Amino acid sequence: MSEIRALIVDDSSVMRKIIERSLRQAGVNLSVVYEAGSGTDALELLKTKDVDLILSDINMPSMDGLEFLRQIRAQNLAVGVPVVMITTESSEEHVKQAIQAGARGYIRKPFTAEQVKERVLPLVNAA
Amino acid sequence: MLLNGVRFAAIARARGGRIKEMEQTMAVSLRESLQLVSDPENLDGSVDEVFQMMLGVTCKRVSGPRTEEPESVTAVVGFGGALSGACVFKCGSMAARKIAAHMTGMEFEEIDDVVKDGIGEICNMLAGAWKGKVPNLAANCGLSVPAVITGSNYHLHVQAPEFQLHHAYQFEDACFDVTIVCDGLQ
Repeated sequence: MSEIRALIVDDSSVMRKIIERSLRQAGVNLSVVYEAGSGTDALELLKTKDVDLILSDINMPSMDGLEFLRQIRAQNLAVGVPVVMITTESSEEHVKQAIQAGARGYIRKPFTAEQVKERVLPLVNAA
Repeated sequence: MLLNGVRFAAIARARGGRIKEMEQTMAVSLRESLQLVSDPENLDGSVDEVFQMMLGVTCKRVSGPRTEEPESVTAVVGFGGALSGACVFKCGSMAARKIAAHMTGMEFEEIDDVVKDGIGEICNMLAGAWKGKVPNLAANCGLSVPAVITGSNYHLHVQAPEFQLHHAYQFEDACFDVTIVCDGLQ
């Protein structure tokens, strides 16, 4: 597997670390991990950094994960980069909204490293 | 005051999306599901799920008053939309540091920002898991971002809630309380 540059977007710094740890446990070969605490910060980061994978929360202050997804498409950022939502919101409606906004995967919190492996590894391997 | 703040944030979040439209169509069935919404087993199941998956520990429900520690941590996540209220997580300093240690693999000497962040996220996941157990609630109820309070000798008072669930749990030697307060159900 080639080296992956990941962007993790979550307003919780603890959760960002847990997601990074789960990615490593899942066998994702991370070369660099960028972190952002909101969709706004993540958008700014994507203007200057190239990434291969984005994992984003939905409920965040300033700009939530769904709006972040819409904005990266609208601003033509991270073109072709898979985005996986990791969130406490678990209803079919939320999943549908995320997929419509461009997400390629959806993981509900709480999650296991095995779930991260199942949902993220196929996307990384296909890249 | 704080409880109102997080509730309003959750309501605003719910109304920002399509939840307001959906809550009107789901209103009747949600009120009819009051027994399911207030089922105590949903809270126990949510605690099990979050602590087993995120901390790798099993919690048991305990009864009786918890020994008050000089310093405690309380996290609040508001519900808005078809149900208004809050999920409140409260524990002492030792339990908070232990929970954060399990989450991060680090040791903590005091309740710092990482510990507060971890407790806020636990409360967020509990609120999400709990509402996810009632199908009509999962889609029609928004969550606020967590608010975390630390200190001593404070009490959270809610005036005449529609229903309230309050359970105490323990893992290893750490105890914590989880309360679900519902002050409005449509």
